[in-house]
Amino acid sequence: MAMTALLVDGLSVRFGSFQAIDDLSLAIDYGEVRAVIGPNGAGKTTLLDVISGITRPKQGRVLFDGAHEIVGRSEAAIARAGIRRKFQKPSVFEGLSVRQHIAIGADVGFRSRLDTPALEDRVGEVLETVRLADKADALAGALSHGQKQWLEIGMVLASEPKVLMLDEPVAGLTDEETERTASLVRALKRPDRAIVVVEHDMDFVERIADRVTVLHEGRTLFEGSMDRVRADPAVVEVYLGR
Amino acid sequence: MSFWRLPILLSCLLLLASGAQAAPLDRAALVADLCGDAGQMGQAGTALLDVAANGSAEDRAWAAPLAGAVLARGLACDEESAVLAEAGLDALTRAPREPGDKARKPLASLKNRSVFQLADAALALRSASAVGAREAALKTLERKPSQIPDGLLEAAAASETDAGLREQIDALAQTAALNASDPAARIRALASIAENPSRRALTKVSALTSDPAYASNDDFRRAVDAASARIERGIAIGDALATLYNGLSFASILFMAAIGLAIIFGLMGVINLAQGELIMIGAYVTWLVQQGLRYAAPSLLDWYLVLAIPAAFLVTAAIGIAIEVSLLRHLYRRPLMSLLATWAVSLFLINLVRVVFGTQNLQFETPFYVSGGVPVIGDFIFTWNRMFAIAFAIVTLTLTWLVVRKTPLGLNIRAVTQNRDMAACIGIPTRRVDMMAFGLGSGLAGLAGLALSPIYSVNPQMGQNFIIDSFMVVVLGGVGTIAGTVVAALGIGQINVLIEPLWGAVAAKVIVLLMIIAFLQWRPEGLFAVKGRRK
Amino acid sequence: MKRWTADWPFLGLVGLLVVVALAMALFAGTPFGLSRYLANAIGQLAAFAVLALSLDLIWGYLGILSLGHGLFFAVGGYVVAMYLLKHSFVVTGTVPDFLQFMGWKDFPFYWAGFDFFPYALLAAVVVTLLIAGVFGYVSFRSRVSGVYFAIITQALVYVAMLLMFRNDTGFGGNNGMTGFTVMFGWPMGTSGMITGLAVASLVVLAGVLVGCRWLVGSRFGALMLATRDDETRLRTLGYETLRLKLTVWCLSAVIAMIAGMLYVPQVGIINPRLLSPELSLEIAVWVAIGGRGHLVGAVIGALLVNAVKFWLSSAAPDVWPFILSGLIVLVVLVFPNGLIDLARLKLVRPMGPKRIAAEVGEAR
Repeated sequence: MAMTALLVDGLSVRFGSFQAIDDLSLAIDYGEVRAVIGPNGAGKTTLLDVISGITRPKQGRVLFDGAHEIVGRSEAAIARAGIRRKFQKPSVFEGLSVRQHIAIGADVGFRSRLDTPALEDRVGEVLETVRLADKADALAGALSHGQKQWLEIGMVLASEPKVLMLDEPVAGLTDEETERTASLVRALKRPDRAIVVVEHDMDFVERIADRVTVLHEGRTLFEGSMDRVRADPAVVEVYLGR
Repeated sequence: MSFWRLPILLSCLLLLASGAQAAPLDRAALVADLCGDAGQMGQAGTALLDVAANGSAEDRAWAAPLAGAVLARGLACDEESAVLAEAGLDALTRAPREPGDKARKPLASLKNRSVFQLADAALALRSASAVGAREAALKTLERKPSQIPDGLLEAAAASETDAGLREQIDALAQTAALNASDPAARIRALASIAENPSRRALTKVSALTSDPAYASNDDFRRAVDAASARIERGIAIGDALATLYNGLSFASILFMAAIGLAIIFGLMGVINLAQGELIMIGAYVTWLVQQGLRYAAPSLLDWYLVLAIPAAFLVTAAIGIAIEVSLLRHLYRRPLMSLLATWAVSLFLINLVRVVFGTQNLQFETPFYVSGGVPVIGDFIFTWNRMFAIAFAIVTLTLTWLVVRKTPLGLNIRAVTQNRDMAACIGIPTRRVDMMAFGLGSGLAGLAGLALSPIYSVNPQMGQNFIIDSFMVVVLGGVGTIAGTVVAALGIGQINVLIEPLWGAVAAKVIVLLMIIAFLQWRPEGLFAVKGRRK
Repeated sequence: MKRWTADWPFLGLVGLLVVVALAMALFAGTPFGLSRYLANAIGQLAAFAVLALSLDLIWGYLGILSLGHGLFFAVGGYVVAMYLLKHSFVVTGTVPDFLQFMGWKDFPFYWAGFDFFPYALLAAVVVTLLIAGVFGYVSFRSRVSGVYFAIITQALVYVAMLLMFRNDTGFGGNNGMTGFTVMFGWPMGTSGMITGLAVASLVVLAGVLVGCRWLVGSRFGALMLATRDDETRLRTLGYETLRLKLTVWCLSAVIAMIAGMLYVPQVGIINPRLLSPELSLEIAVWVAIGGRGHLVGAVIGALLVNAVKFWLSSAAPDVWPFILSGLIVLVVLVFPNGLIDLARLKLVRPMGPKRIAAEVGEAR
């Protein structure tokens, strides 16, 4: 079912005099893992910020699930609709335990208890997936950088999101951790889910991505498979030429 | 209403008549009248008044002591003529002599007394040598503007050497002319009084609406209405200018208090709750410099405000650097704890100053360059103490701008403000920059304390009066921008001063706070914040 | 967060409060009873501890520092003072000083009904929720936080103080309100009344402590900590943090208001100095000294600091500000988590401050 999960249409974002995203259009389908790459300042993180509702664009639309306009809605509403995102800098709650993170990620509500059996099962499942089961009661502040990255991934996937956005999931990880992250991302791929990964690690991108979008100065420079990206002279120029 | 006018009109007519026939003064007849009965004495008093207005210089000098002598019962009349008893001089010839055995000292009747008082004052105004004496004479004349003889004030103004007194004489001349008997003269006076609008002028003019002439004479009524309209317009303009001017001076103080806060906040994310106390310390240093000069170099005392500039800046900058090094440096990225720490400093400084200097207001000399002012229009006086604060703020703004834009320190401050980690990576000593910037910001607070000492009262609590307004300037202006601070200070200063006369100072503060909260709905980062993506 | 059954400091403190309250109630009037001065002091301390809890709830657990909590404290204080004056007037016919001072014949219209305590209580809650709700909504909606929020709350309490200093507002002006003679039909100032108020304060303190403990131990409490640590992260997980913050903020304001209602009958006077920015800052200092993010710490901080202040304000009033500023610097520099650091370093975990800092996390 190659239905469009996210349709970005004519998006522009300015910060003062800096044009972060310039009339960008992009379609991401369900069932694919899409990598978004590009040099620093290309607008990758800003794109994720717009989709998750943190940044309001100057103009343009973002359609979710083919029909729902999400520009202008609150971050929380967008998240509840099924769009979840891991931040570039690992963002966890230092004062909470690992288990609490996953429970918060799994269930959106102020009142329900964190230890109902159904929730417990789901939390255990996710903890196994991100290999933090033995750290379940540790405070997040005491985790290593890699474990924080994984905890955040676990937190965002606990709710079975339809769109999963990962901003530099392997930055600062060891080779072994990168390897495990790659297999995790492939394992998360499902026909009813779109996964968007922003990453600089080309080997990692090559391993996980079905398609690659290259951004440059807020515009799409190239879109296609990793092989063709590597062969494209314009991309090579942007990455190596300067 | 008109009962009391009748004698005035009569005496005016009398004066006019006597003025018209002014011939060489018959001194002997005058002295004789002075020693005569009540009627003759009255004539003599009127004659003396006439001398003051129209007489020659010698006649005036000759007549000057006479009215005073009569009032003080110091004129001794004898067979020959009369003697000025106190000086021991003959009233007519001014040759020294003693009064005769049967000398009689005439007593002026109550009615004549007022004529003699007037004559004495009029003569003093024309011929007294001391400015003070002439001023006192003018005060006496001011009480009876309608009885002042024509031409006296004009002549006195023409020969007056003291500028301030000349203005007062002119003002009185206008009042006198307004109350003159000739409607044409009154209309002319109305036109000239409207030239310099003020509340006093308005009171004078509006009093004329109950004058009989207002009802009976159309021209006069039109002139009164036109004059009061013109004066009211002038007062309105003057009030508007005064409000702007006061707002500008308040904004200048706010700016100087807030610019240091804004730089520090932009750089370190720290609000210095002790900024108000640094202002206070700046004012106290200024006072100490004044006291030092009083003992060491009294001739330079007038220049203490200028000489204290480096002292106020350096002392407060040193305190600021000490705060940064001993406290804030250890609270890196814990801005709320820094808030408490700087409050501890503020508490300490207030109580230290209270213990050392006491709680009373400090007394400051007022040097000539911050005293008085130039009246402009209406009741607006361009006062020099406020101008001092404004000029000081402009100089401070310029220098701060130069430091931030044109010096290596400023470049470092801007770099660290924008991205601390990156600045550290390229080798900028960020901690040193913090320290220097904190010193700069604190020094500017000290200068604010110096600049406000001629306007506001100086005591250990004074910092509290400015600090919340300065915080609001920083919140409104946005993080670490000079332009934002200037605009926000001007805005808050002006709004405060604008609202104050309408609903009071408290309402002004309430409204300013509400406006800032409302404004933050629209731009949460302040006026001039640089937007960027989440870091 | 540990289960409450294993939280010994919490259980110990609640137990202590209950025991002291019981003992005071039982021994009142007997030779074993406390002096009036001491009973009154304990009651006031308890009111301050409630106030500290209200601030700890939002600062320690939500990361929002309010430098204007004296505002809500004063709302409670003013309303209870209005009740007391009106009630005293109805029972004894005493005309309040401020009415005579202003030359007014009768109470202003908005005093109507304040002799009826439930109405006064309702009015206090409504006014508190109105102020806290509107101010909190506009501030949190525009994402004002951290130092900005602290500064604006300080301006808020400052403006309220200026407002109350005016004599024509009908709330006593700069002299405030005093001369309370009757409460709930009983005369004030008797040892029975003093003990009763102190016991009530202790019971309320214990109740608020238990309530707060329940709240922060719940899922809601976990979400509060999550908001403190990374609000954007929580929002992008689907939580409307605005609602959460507003709820806790209003709750905290109401607790502060209750503290004010307990405090004013015991000191017998209210004036605008309760609204001075200094008092609001001092509340933050109690919490910081006790250890923010720890309910027990906040209570102990408030009790200790105020006990020392009570003692010094009669012994050496000029020294107190210096001691207070010294304490703040000490806490801020050496014990960033307050007395909790001290307790852990010495007694429980000899691991040094790094571990503790990692555990507690720095509220931003």
